[in-house]
Amino acid sequence: MSDAAVRGRGTHRVAAAGVVAGAVLLLALLGLPIVALLLRGGVSGLGQLGSDRELRAALWLTAQTATVATLLAMLLGTPLAYLLARGRMPAGALVGALLDLPLLIPHPVAGMALLLAFGRASPAGAALAQIGLAVVGSRTGIVLAMLFVAAPLYVSAAREAIARVDERYESVARTLGDSPVRAVWRVTRPLAGRGLVAAAVVMWARAVSEFGAIVILTYNPKVASVLSYDRFTGEGLDAALPVAAVLVILALVPLLVLRSLRAGTALGEPAR
Amino acid sequence: MIEVESLHARAGAFELRDVSFSLPPGAWGIVLGSAGSGKTTLLETIAGVRRAASGRVRLRDSDVTLVPPERRGVGIVYQHALLFPHLTVEENVCYGAHDPRYAVALARRLGAGELLARGVRELSGGERQIVALARALAPQPDILLLDEPLAAVDPRGRTRLRRELRALQREHALTVLHVTHDFGEAGTLGNLAILLDGGRMVQAAPPEQLFRRPASAAAAEFLGAENVYAGTASPLESGAGDEPGTMLFRAGSLSLVGLAAASVPIAHAVIRGEDVVLAREHVGVSSARNVVEGVVAEVVTHGALARVTLDVGGLPLVATVTAGSVSELGLLPGSRAVATIKATAVHLC
Repeated sequence: MSDAAVRGRGTHRVAAAGVVAGAVLLLALLGLPIVALLLRGGVSGLGQLGSDRELRAALWLTAQTATVATLLAMLLGTPLAYLLARGRMPAGALVGALLDLPLLIPHPVAGMALLLAFGRASPAGAALAQIGLAVVGSRTGIVLAMLFVAAPLYVSAAREAIARVDERYESVARTLGDSPVRAVWRVTRPLAGRGLVAAAVVMWARAVSEFGAIVILTYNPKVASVLSYDRFTGEGLDAALPVAAVLVILALVPLLVLRSLRAGTALGEPAR
Repeated sequence: MIEVESLHARAGAFELRDVSFSLPPGAWGIVLGSAGSGKTTLLETIAGVRRAASGRVRLRDSDVTLVPPERRGVGIVYQHALLFPHLTVEENVCYGAHDPRYAVALARRLGAGELLARGVRELSGGERQIVALARALAPQPDILLLDEPLAAVDPRGRTRLRRELRALQREHALTVLHVTHDFGEAGTLGNLAILLDGGRMVQAAPPEQLFRRPASAAAAEFLGAENVYAGTASPLESGAGDEPGTMLFRAGSLSLVGLAAASVPIAHAVIRGEDVVLAREHVGVSSARNVVEGVVAEVVTHGALARVTLDVGGLPLVATVTAGSVSELGLLPGSRAVATIKATAVHLC
């Protein structure tokens, strides 16, 4: 074997070792805090679920409000995602940028913006309060904050899921007698279905984990993330750990759902 | 009836421009053209799934340019079948059918009876196209648009399916517009052939005329004409007994008497290989106006046929003859041969 070949193989080994070391370091940085949290608070957190009424109420409230926010996003966001996916949205680039904005601004800032727009002093907030939907210190505020920070994730993922369905399926359905809406309902909806559910799961998970915007609008009633913060600041790390660990365990549920959705057959792929 | 008038349509950056033709009721139209020439865009615009930028589409004597596809009564079969992957074959076939029993019977007739319970993903390319054909015909449209529907079907199945399609077309007086790359299909099925190139319509004529009298050298080459020469033409002196449009064409040392298609500037002569008759020596008196001598440069055999290329004063002249003729005449590279071509077989354009 020539010297050049030996040198080449050596360089390759060093590069491979560097890649592996980098990956291990990153995975350790991501995984260690989660493992530590679960080890310290996991068992006690699950045990505490039986006795800690405040924790159970916070988890129930979080699940309820995240579900309502997700359903609202699906109802309002799916038609928008469709128009964006099919390039039929007027000023689509501008709308796309507007949808990305909530993902980029710090979440407490999002909370302040929501407070300004829908707080008691604003005309919109006053109108909402009139019909019993006061935004500050209420479930409405929690849903609104979740919607603001997480709905763009739903629209973005739903747009991708719809875009993956060949538009010509709708064309064929229309030549077979379907109206535009009926073609979307009979063809695009089932073909993009898994993607839409996955988008909803991502949004739900993001809504459950939201803290910054919610804490500005609604400290009480407390969602799980606010309760964890409240116990950390009031009673210290040990008191907050069980709540935090339960939140991590809760995050595993959507992760497993997403995995099972991705493992299924991708129906959106066009026929070849 | 399908009538298209000065049709313009866009598909992304591609533009279909100024297409006009008329296909009578019950006729079979063939659309020819290279990839990207606008064949699919034309079908989609007629079906209404793509909006016409300008011009008009008339179906059954009604202007449908602004009518949505679901109200045009047109069936379309795409090249890739585009069966709904979340439905079974039977559900696909019955998707738009008013009478599911008719749809199923039609699928059986086209040879998809065994496939009805299957999922779409289990089908081969040819099977998908058969099912797509059944699905498009199930709502009983009187206009059918086909985008290379037989391309993925095996040769035996293609012959059978072509026969069934022809029978269905006659039984239901279907008006069919059919995109194909198969010139044989164009010749056997079509009443009208439309040639597209780069989004423009080059020519619309009966298939025989399209192949014999292409509008341009590019059209002739696309349609498989073996001999296309660039040169100049002048009116023929003798005149007596000649058909109108008979001209003398010169390309280098080659002089040919041919027929001009129209009073347009002539720049090319087109001769199909099968119109060139070969002999080892002059046959004496002949009605053919063109007799040229050359040296055999190449003989390529394709099954029962052979392409013989003669060198005629530095220009190649290709003749398509039977392989048997090649051996009977002893046409070997380097041997001399005489080519005879009728003036009517020399198309000037």
